Amino acid sequence: MTANIREFPGTPLSEKDFAEGKILFNYDELRGAFAWDNGIAIGRYLAGLKDGVILGAHCSTCRKTVVPPRIACEWCFRPMQEYVPLGDTGTVSTFSLCYVTWDVRRVTEPEIPAVIEIDGAAPLCGILHLLGEVDPHKVHIGMRVQAVWRPAAEREGAITDILYFKPLEEV
Amino acid sequence: MTLLERGRNAPSTWRGDLPVTSRYTYGLAGERFFRAIKEEGRILGTRCPCCEHIYVPATSFCERCLGELDEWLDVGIVGEVYTFTLLYEDPDGSPRESPETIALVRLGDGGLVHRLGEVEPDAVTIGMSVQAVFKPASQREGSILDILYFRPIGR
Repeated sequence: MTANIREFPGTPLSEKDFAEGKILFNYDELRGAFAWDNGIAIGRYLAGLKDGVILGAHCSTCRKTVVPPRIACEWCFRPMQEYVPLGDTGTVSTFSLCYVTWDVRRVTEPEIPAVIEIDGAAPLCGILHLLGEVDPHKVHIGMRVQAVWRPAAEREGAITDILYFKPLEEV
Repeated sequence: MTLLERGRNAPSTWRGDLPVTSRYTYGLAGERFFRAIKEEGRILGTRCPCCEHIYVPATSFCERCLGELDEWLDVGIVGEVYTFTLLYEDPDGSPRESPETIALVRLGDGGLVHRLGEVEPDAVTIGMSVQAVFKPASQREGSILDILYFRPIGR
């Protein structure tokens, strides 16, 4: 590095500099379209959600039911025995209060992602979803919750066919 | 239907779109380089006195000796075709009716990759002299596309 440069102050820019044309820049949008292969089990799972059913898969060797379903057991590596419909109720296993959205906007009402152990599945087997119709400060681990489904006509075979999980009892 | 068969109603793929946007600033040297294109219709380079090398586009440091470069010069708008290629597909992969000619145009000891225009692809040769054709000054926005293309000039 040359002797003329002793400090590295950088060039701080504000939104105003862009708006007022003080700085040149190139705006771009990358094409980010993708198609992700659902595989056999997740395809079934999504088709199940469209029908208003949460599907799991049962391994008769391990006597374990997992959700979302898979075609092979993660513990014994044998093929799963069958898909089993589970309840749409469960227990909050863990949760978070998020004051920042996925695209990094601050919000005053937090989103509450939670892992919900679905009734009928083995302990600790759950899915990540959102909690709703609940005071964020009253959410607790072990809280009993139930899925709130999108109206049948509007479901499209997506995890968002469940809008959120709401508390089963008064909290 | 067995467990290992895809369900008849099961969606085979999940389709989505990632909203990826970017805002790229050109840096200190790039800002001056593109300002010159936008406001004066000139192409600038920087010269390293130690390495006797003229960088185009302009940079603020020499890649060879890492020295700071503060000698700015106008390298003109005429360069020569160093190499070129014909593109038969658009960036999205769709076929083009006629190929686009993209060339590395030598300016100083560097050069710009840009379109060639006002020339049939068959007529392009390595070493041919080409001149930058700029957008009208009022329409320039400080982008490499302020240069529409390079066109051949008589030899």
